[in-house]
Amino acid sequence: MPDTNEGNPLREGLSSRNMPEPCAVVIFGATGDLTHRKLVPALYNLAADGALPPAVSVVGFARRDKTDEVFRTEIEEAARKFSRQKINDELWSSFSSSIFYHRSEFDNLEGYEALARRLDELDAQRGTRGNRLFYLSAGPDQFPVILENLRKSGLNKAQPGSWARVIVEKPFGTDLPTAQILNNMVVEAFPEKDTFRIDHYLGKETAQNMMVLRFANAIFEQLWNSRYIDHVQITASEPLGVEGRAGYYDKSGALRDMVQNHLLQLLCLTAMEPPAGLDADAIRDEKVKVLKSLRPIVGDDVRKYVVRAQYGAGAINGKRVAAYRDEQGVHQDSVTETYVALQVNIDNWRWAGVPFFVRVGKRLPKACTEIAIQFKGAPAVLFNATGETIDSNVLVIRIQPDEGISLRMSAKMPGSSLQIEPVKMDFHYGTSFGKATPEAYERLLLDAMSGDATLFARRDEVEEAWKFVDALHDAWAKESEDLAMYSAGTWGPTEADELIKRHGATWRRL
Amino acid sequence: MSLAVDPGLPVEIGTIGKELGKLWEESGDTKTRASLINLAIYTENPDAVPWNTGLIAEIAGEHACRALLIFADPASGKSEARAWISAHCHMAGKGERQICSEQITFELGGEMVHSLPNIVFSHLDSDLPLYFWWQGEFREPLDQKLWSWIDRLIFDSADWRKPVEQLAIARKIATLNAERTILCDLNWTRLLGTRFALAQLFDHSCANARMREIEKVSITTSRRSTGLLLLGWLATQFGWKFQSLLGKEFFLPQSGGHIDFSVTEKPGADIAEVSFQTADVSFGIRREEYSDYFHGYIDGGGFCNTNMVLSAGKSRIEDILLMELSRGGKHPLYAKAICAIEPLLGH
Repeated sequence: MPDTNEGNPLREGLSSRNMPEPCAVVIFGATGDLTHRKLVPALYNLAADGALPPAVSVVGFARRDKTDEVFRTEIEEAARKFSRQKINDELWSSFSSSIFYHRSEFDNLEGYEALARRLDELDAQRGTRGNRLFYLSAGPDQFPVILENLRKSGLNKAQPGSWARVIVEKPFGTDLPTAQILNNMVVEAFPEKDTFRIDHYLGKETAQNMMVLRFANAIFEQLWNSRYIDHVQITASEPLGVEGRAGYYDKSGALRDMVQNHLLQLLCLTAMEPPAGLDADAIRDEKVKVLKSLRPIVGDDVRKYVVRAQYGAGAINGKRVAAYRDEQGVHQDSVTETYVALQVNIDNWRWAGVPFFVRVGKRLPKACTEIAIQFKGAPAVLFNATGETIDSNVLVIRIQPDEGISLRMSAKMPGSSLQIEPVKMDFHYGTSFGKATPEAYERLLLDAMSGDATLFARRDEVEEAWKFVDALHDAWAKESEDLAMYSAGTWGPTEADELIKRHGATWRRL
Repeated sequence: MSLAVDPGLPVEIGTIGKELGKLWEESGDTKTRASLINLAIYTENPDAVPWNTGLIAEIAGEHACRALLIFADPASGKSEARAWISAHCHMAGKGERQICSEQITFELGGEMVHSLPNIVFSHLDSDLPLYFWWQGEFREPLDQKLWSWIDRLIFDSADWRKPVEQLAIARKIATLNAERTILCDLNWTRLLGTRFALAQLFDHSCANARMREIEKVSITTSRRSTGLLLLGWLATQFGWKFQSLLGKEFFLPQSGGHIDFSVTEKPGADIAEVSFQTADVSFGIRREEYSDYFHGYIDGGGFCNTNMVLSAGKSRIEDILLMELSRGGKHPLYAKAICAIEPLLGH
């Protein structure tokens, strides 16, 4: 049976985006929050945009007992609440008829064997062509048993001419050994080319635009090195606290929850060399080179280059909020960091001597994720010779919210005197491109169904990132008294200001 | 000569740039001017000016542009040129700021119509591409200076009264600056939703397996030109060659045999139905006039019986233009599709 893209000439030229092949998407953890808030709305939006072949079927796999109809009703409510596009009754009726529910315990092999039979039936009824996409959306502690049973039941093996793929949600382990164990389990069931480790930051429009900005605009790449760049700041701040995730977060902390995956991915996109091509492995090869070039932070360098902190009581948007240790589910003497700032050094030719300052935190004044490229100042002659401080150029790539790019430069103020002030050229996606951009999960699901792994993390990326992060964690484990405190609603501890000040810089005011 | 709409602030043509500057200075920080393209619209129909103004307002909400709306009246005894400026603003994000696009409206009468190239060139937003929607029929001789400046020439072949002649002129325009000018036929863009739906239909294994067994294709359309263009696309993509023999017209597929076709005009949706017939299965898509969806069906062939709902895309001309502005790129399939049905255009 021909594949969609190769075997359907009517697809030619219709879209530059990936076109998925007919398949059955099996979601493990189908009654969970991610399925309701993100996955089903994303699939509906793809269907509404004409991006899904009608034969795509969705099978929810979970422990609770319910019928297809009950499951459909539940997710319809969620889709109406969380979908980017308004739900059209006619389309929903057709879309929901492609959704099914399969009840089974995750550790019950018979449940998987029954699933296999059901998927075979769907192939015949709906033309899903034997293609399977397994989405591990359950808790990470369930991944091993799900992968094992997929393997035992033979669901991981595709029929000739078909494929079987797996999407793994983060966290990819809790440290390097657990990541390796998980990766080994995955690889026993699925080859690397069929494994899609999801990092939803990579599905965001601005993160994808980073490569375009760097490699489609000749003016930037010439300056993108230690000769012209003083330092880079990568920030991910949020005013939220742990919001019901205390059980997970108190074990994880900001470093493992955010830096190991999202922020190191952004750092890689910023620092990598131009890839040899736009295929998944060419891009991921370059990202891995960056991760391998990160100077390990060990020994005394941990105190020098890293600040970890936890929020105390404070106020966010005029409302009092509790200290982290007073949050429900958090241990009273928890030393988990809710904030981390670190100076990352990349030991390669391009970035020698250029520190990357990375900070992430909860209960900060506002939600913002951005990458700021701080250029060196102009030479101290002409306008700079008077001793007056002239702000150097800053290129900011805003990931969220208000995605866009801005460039700060100096300009003469109108008038007879020579007064120089910083001005900002600002590009907002929302201003220039009025239409709503698709959700990250829409793009990522589409890519996984199409077999394009460019925006997913490869095994070696994940493990290299863990190597870097584990070294820090090991040092912290030995010196727990290093935890700084900051009041909720502030921009973090003064120790973080000191960290960047040693480079002669300050954190950007966001 | 008067326009049936308030086109904004009347200004001297020589001071348009200055007056636009003032407009933005006066608005302070509350408004942000944005522009991705120059969008020029040319019409000789005075009644189309208010409609075009509304269209630009709608377009600007999704596609920031500098719009030049040119109403020309070559037959006017009064040789004059007048201009107005206005802005179309919409709230961005959470409503902190208004994002605005500029519109410059020109009224050209009599001999002043010949100053069109100068009017256009002197009021473009620099470094941005020029999209030119020519509403109405093309006429020769062509002013090379004007036409070779255009990045995307937009027209709607559904409006052509003499499609063979008009197509020849459009192709000639495209050759004036082949490196630059892309022909953008809104009649082709109009088919996008139908093409998506048909592609989805042929994703289904039953339809997909029978694409080389098609014996007949029937299209019901509100406009023959739209139906023919769709037929041309199907023929191109499936590798069918048009044949006319002893007064009978049909397509020759690569697999042998022949394929009958019919294009039936009927008031209603642009494309109301496309059906395919093979020896054992009939399948296709069907749409009610005001529905946003096609109903796809496959009948016969044992296990093949199925129904599906497929997005039909949008039908309003405003939405079609927006689609065209958003898609970018060249339209190589359009050129092939129109070649495939060219012998039928003169009927």
